[in-house]
Amino acid sequence: MLSVLSYGRLVARAVIGGLSQTDSRDYSLVTASCGFGKDFRKGILKKGMCYGDDACFIARHRSADVLGVADGVGGWRDYGVDPSQFSGTLMKTCERLVKEGRFVPSSPVGVLTTSYYELLQNKVPLLGSSTACIVILDRQSHRLHTANLGDSGFLVVRGGEVVHRSDEQQHYFNTPFQLSIAPPGAEGAVLSDSPDVADSSSFDVQLGDIILTATDGLFDNMPDYMILQELKKLKNTNYESIQQTARSIAEQAHVLAYDPNYMSPFAQFACDNGLNVRGGKPDDITVLLSIVAEYTD
Amino acid sequence: MQLAPKFPMLTLLSMFYYICLRRRSRSGTRGEALTSRRAVESGQRAVLPVSVEVEQYAKEVLDFSSHYGSENSMSYTMWNLAGVPNVYPSSGDFTQTAVFRSYGTWWEKCASAPPPFRRTPKGFYSQDYIELGFEEPVYPTAVEVLETYYPGAIVQILACSHNPFSQSPPTDVRWEVLWSGDPTKVLTPQARQFSPNIKHISFPTNLLRLEVNSSLLDYYTELDAVILRGVKERPMLALYKMPVIDISDLSDSEEELSDLGGPFRQGGDGKHQRTGNGYFDKLPYELIQLILSHLTLPDLCRLAQSCKLLYQHCCDPLQYTQLSLQPYWARLSDASLGHLQSRCTLLQRLNLSWTGNRGALTQSGFSSFMKACGLSLVCLELSCCHFLNEACLEVISQTCPGLQELNLSSCDRLHPQAFIHISKLTRLRRLVLYRTKIEQTAILSILTFCIELKHLNLGSCVRIEDYDVVASMMAARCRSLCSLDLWRCRNLTDRGLAELVSGCRMLEELDLGWCPTLQSSTGCFQHLARSLPRLHKLFLTANRTVCDSDIEELAASCPSLQHLDILGTRLVSPASLKKLLQSCPQLHLLDVSFCSQIDMRVVQELCGLFPNVAIKKSFTQ
Repeated sequence: MLSVLSYGRLVARAVIGGLSQTDSRDYSLVTASCGFGKDFRKGILKKGMCYGDDACFIARHRSADVLGVADGVGGWRDYGVDPSQFSGTLMKTCERLVKEGRFVPSSPVGVLTTSYYELLQNKVPLLGSSTACIVILDRQSHRLHTANLGDSGFLVVRGGEVVHRSDEQQHYFNTPFQLSIAPPGAEGAVLSDSPDVADSSSFDVQLGDIILTATDGLFDNMPDYMILQELKKLKNTNYESIQQTARSIAEQAHVLAYDPNYMSPFAQFACDNGLNVRGGKPDDITVLLSIVAEYTD
Repeated sequence: MQLAPKFPMLTLLSMFYYICLRRRSRSGTRGEALTSRRAVESGQRAVLPVSVEVEQYAKEVLDFSSHYGSENSMSYTMWNLAGVPNVYPSSGDFTQTAVFRSYGTWWEKCASAPPPFRRTPKGFYSQDYIELGFEEPVYPTAVEVLETYYPGAIVQILACSHNPFSQSPPTDVRWEVLWSGDPTKVLTPQARQFSPNIKHISFPTNLLRLEVNSSLLDYYTELDAVILRGVKERPMLALYKMPVIDISDLSDSEEELSDLGGPFRQGGDGKHQRTGNGYFDKLPYELIQLILSHLTLPDLCRLAQSCKLLYQHCCDPLQYTQLSLQPYWARLSDASLGHLQSRCTLLQRLNLSWTGNRGALTQSGFSSFMKACGLSLVCLELSCCHFLNEACLEVISQTCPGLQELNLSSCDRLHPQAFIHISKLTRLRRLVLYRTKIEQTAILSILTFCIELKHLNLGSCVRIEDYDVVASMMAARCRSLCSLDLWRCRNLTDRGLAELVSGCRMLEELDLGWCPTLQSSTGCFQHLARSLPRLHKLFLTANRTVCDSDIEELAASCPSLQHLDILGTRLVSPASLKKLLQSCPQLHLLDVSFCSQIDMRVVQELCGLFPNVAIKKSFTQ
């Protein structure tokens, strides 16, 4: 009898072991944010998740975790428009959409599109433009869905290596794809890309994957190997250690941005295009660092 | 051999054993709740003692009569009233709140507004409503409304005995008034928590209805959230006053309305009858009719039961030329409508707005009433009548040939096919289709045949594909058009507008709010001003292209202008507004909210120079 039971247990374990490839646990993203605005005098944090003209959001919903960054185009300042208003309102609207469940986890482009058209429903006459990058983790299916419009972007790091990354969308040098609302009459003169030209991708993620979502202030100043070096220091999935790592990445990028002799990725790209420059690129820096972990309430 | 069959069984049992061990229970998070409800949320039905209060935010907005925002949007729409507050305790004009379509008395002053119905009971002030469903039915102890802008509009709070989330169809639906009051105006537009003393009711409820009246307010009222506090166990008699008889003015009305043929003694022989009514016999018939014309409908029905003479008077069809059943929406049923049928043969104006709530009135009851009483009907108000279907509209088109006014505002469950029948009502002068699903073919058909149209409301009719074609048809066929509401018509261009204003020269009111495709650079607004010298009302809300030249043209060409809304443009300067205010002495309403060049200082200066004008400048703090 005993051997029958133990035989039964063995069989059961083997079968369950085979079945557990399809993990029924929900995943979640533990996310920390950090950033620096370009203009020291304005102070580092304006209102919550805004760093200079950049804005970001982190939102949780029953079915998904959603992150987003938006880089406000600074050129509007010359025309009397505050560039952070557009990016900030865009991100806040995305956050609200997610919290109220008005989105489909597999369609981050849908989040962008709906959010953009909601901006047009605001009584306040918003003007400005920004890039946008939205990352959605579907808890149950363990898939990461992303949409990127412009030169912000994300990296997915697994086992110390970059396994996924976003592509930059540029019209020409230093002119990324951007969502915009133009003043009346200037629609022809202002670059305005539709939300559906965003690049989207979907892929599976595993527990322990690190996702770094950031604006070009980070990627233009820190090459991949430096970022990976910092990420190696990430010990566990505690919020505190993620926060610490995010801060150290952002701080390092901030320092490098003002180093006139450093050959930043931005300078390298400029040289490749015939512009003889050196040094970092002073810019607003926004970093969202996430780790895929198990979902706890 | 005998062990073999047991192996699969044991394997199966072991698998179940492991699966059950590994399973983790999930906690659902349906609905919004505060911490005291954790036990309920996780599915453990804890037995709560009587005194524990449950606090809930609204789970879902189920129905409403109007809103400011666009369909499918979350800006200024009624759906924002569900869930936790987004703005409170801040005050201001924010997108995350629930805003109704109108405020003040500006819309009532327009020519497009219908005259009020006679016999409206004094306590009935409601202009708009919203219905909210909550997660858990409770015996309410308090209702708190978080108002974040220009508070004071709520005039009634009602609770329903039916659970809107249950699968079973509604039976024996009761609505109880928790609180009612007069419309008020709070001195400052700042946010407040409105928590009136509510009546205690005998049934648990998770469906509340708020009715509002914004007529005293200076701007749109905005609501952020509603909190329902209550207990799950029925409160004990000793603690709460339980009325022995549920007496309220309205609760008797259904009995009265249905009890008409009812128990009622005949006076003995004819001789008795002649002298039985005292001095009433000496009064002329017309005088008694005049006295009765001041009674509200329930009183009229009660009076009918007092004696034969008054029964005769109260059933006289001349008392029922105007019939407004909207104040009694909660209690009107097929039976009551049926009982009124015999008295309503001379009916000219009928208001059934808001009735038919949760199956009380059905399309068959309505149809038979229309067939009996529709012949002389001139005005029919059917706002928010969700029982209507295509068959009802067909009946209306067949039985009311002389119909001049039809209001189907917010009948958003009506199938698009149903609207075709309206084109048979060729005498129509006023047609309201706000927030309906009417489509291109139907509206073009209506415009082709209803050439006497004077007032047309196509606000938020999102299913109409090409407004330029519609405008062109209006210009061709409806030349006596006096007021036109095209609020949020999404694709009207300068081409359509130009045709409209050249064809419909009698236009006095034009609402083009939130029409994003009209560009001032085409000259369309200047052309409009020049073509419509009689213009009284013009709304160009959130048209970001309105500029100084448009304002100056209005000043030059439209001296009768009374209401103007140019919210949200950056291009209008104080100088052109001054010119406008000087040239238009009858201007009473000017909305310059979110116009960047017009700040509070300019507004105060203009108010000082032109004290008769209400200049509206909204704010987000």
